[in-house]
Amino acid sequence: MNGSQHILAAFHRHNISTVFGYPGGCIMPLYDALVDDVGMEHVLCRHEQACALAADGYARASGQLGVCIATSGPGATNLITGVANAYMDSIPLLVITGQVPSGLIGTDAFQETDILGMTLGIVKHSYLVDDPEDLPGILEEAIDLAQAGRPGPVWIDIPKDILLSEIEAPAPARTEAPPADCPEIGPALAMLKSARRPLLYSGGGVSLAGAEDRFRTFAEVSGLPGVVTLKGIGNAGRNNPNDLGMLGMHGSRAANKAVDECDLLFVIGARLDDRATGKLDGFAPNARMIHIDADAAEINKLRPADLSLRGDLNAILAALTDAIAAEPLAIDAWQKQCRTWHTTGGFRAADNEEPLAPITGPAFIRQLSGITGDDTVIACDVGQHQMWVAQYYQFAHPRHHLTSGGLGTMGFGLPAAIGAQFSDRTRTVINVTGDGSFMMNAQELATIRRYNLPLKLIILDNQCLGMVRQQQELFYNNRESQIDLDDNPDFVAMARAFDIPALHIERTDQIRRGIETILAYNGPMLLHVAISREENVWPIVKAGASNKEMIDEPRKTNSRKEQVA
Amino acid sequence: MKPNHESASQRYTLNCRMNQEAAALERLCRVVRVRGFRISRMAMESTGDTLDIALTLEGSRPVAMLQSQLEKLHSVAGVELVSDTMARSRSA
Repeated sequence: MNGSQHILAAFHRHNISTVFGYPGGCIMPLYDALVDDVGMEHVLCRHEQACALAADGYARASGQLGVCIATSGPGATNLITGVANAYMDSIPLLVITGQVPSGLIGTDAFQETDILGMTLGIVKHSYLVDDPEDLPGILEEAIDLAQAGRPGPVWIDIPKDILLSEIEAPAPARTEAPPADCPEIGPALAMLKSARRPLLYSGGGVSLAGAEDRFRTFAEVSGLPGVVTLKGIGNAGRNNPNDLGMLGMHGSRAANKAVDECDLLFVIGARLDDRATGKLDGFAPNARMIHIDADAAEINKLRPADLSLRGDLNAILAALTDAIAAEPLAIDAWQKQCRTWHTTGGFRAADNEEPLAPITGPAFIRQLSGITGDDTVIACDVGQHQMWVAQYYQFAHPRHHLTSGGLGTMGFGLPAAIGAQFSDRTRTVINVTGDGSFMMNAQELATIRRYNLPLKLIILDNQCLGMVRQQQELFYNNRESQIDLDDNPDFVAMARAFDIPALHIERTDQIRRGIETILAYNGPMLLHVAISREENVWPIVKAGASNKEMIDEPRKTNSRKEQVA
Repeated sequence: MKPNHESASQRYTLNCRMNQEAAALERLCRVVRVRGFRISRMAMESTGDTLDIALTLEGSRPVAMLQSQLEKLHSVAGVELVSDTMARSRSA
């Protein structure tokens, strides 16, 4: 077998059957090998960035490894944003790029870039293969490494001559990782029992560890009130009465209040990101902290933990659940207080009773949440619509909410939705996007059409970069700068140009029919939703301020929403 | 955002063992820089498949944070903190 065939053989050994890529000069040997591999589904996106983001979306929705492929030079550099996106959110990704032939490396050859050097800060690890006989071992190690512990992207850069080389080295035998030990939970249990106002703070690490079921059982048995990060949304399921929802910059007043008042913060699979904590000095000022994470480097990184447990979340949560089931926590008064806060300070998007009124983002998302099923995947882009989804959509599972949390990548949503749809063709997948984000990877409409994916696209179009406009309004004396997008294309006509049917709505009484129409359509369909340019995301905490300095929506005489203080 | 538990600038000596791989030293130096430290002295010796690196660093963030970030690098076999002292003023 040559190097290219070894790559495909490794994919098959690891049950990788779908890859996202774009061919070009130095990766052509791999594409030549693909011709003979009928068992490998290669998805041709229309831009390498979309290949990486689609592989990311595939991994997020399925829990499996995502794979993307590109050629050297611009093919590789176009992957960078997608790989950085995966790195920031700890998504398991295998990146394969062609490189100029070994003898030309360092000569400024055509389409040569030092992609290994360029990407050191956005990969879990990377390789430049310089000996063909090393390739089988590197492939094996890279595939395992991307998924082990805290997942992340692993990049293999392979010179063209090595892709063509006959390789004698056999594929290494797979070795199963030993089961993780469970650390001693006694001290954590003692802290939980002595706390009067303990609060769960969970993040994306729960689903990354495959610990969703254990987490829910623990939350249910312990009865702990909980808040979630953006990536932790869905951890508690749709109807957990103790779930206060998202905390932080655009979190609910209830969630931020509970963090402010708790005396023990029980952090599980979260990294205390600044968008969640606000100014650290004012974050959970009265609380001790237990931090559970798979990554030792996250412990004490931003705030010293009073106690940390590092290891497999499943094992730790199972042990804690058993112990608490035997001796329940006495936190009735605290539970009751948190539920009261949730009732009065949770997210509320009241139905607009005026049918001809303009559509608001929160009202639209709330109706979308009510109409779609528990199994629906929502892939967001970045901006106001992303926060409205986080605030008002009730997610049944964290893997149903695909959002670019760490990097905040505009243009993530459409390719991520494509990846999610490839992970399960029967599932309803919806890309909720804004007019700014949509245009960043709009070329992927061609990918949807090519593969006839039954994706649903919803553009909340406010004719501007709404989140930037909002911050300019609130924090830059309303001096608007470069946010107008009122020369947007006709999105309905644009979709139709890709042979994707589309529908436009703009009034409140059209929301339900619009959503039901695209869901019922047997194939891809786009819903263009005109919303007000002036709508803001509430509440908001100014970057760098304490979460206690949350700004609520100014009172309106005929308020469309209630964000109760 | 800087961690809220920074202290005055200190000098540290770290010994680091790495596997001999592409860009090993670059990975090490990048992490040191990004995590808020400055390299004031560096010595490296290559022995077979490993690199032994002695680093003298200055920084005001907790060195344990840097140590745990370095240990995350796949090519790092071990990191040992040898000493820490208050850094001299740069203008001295």
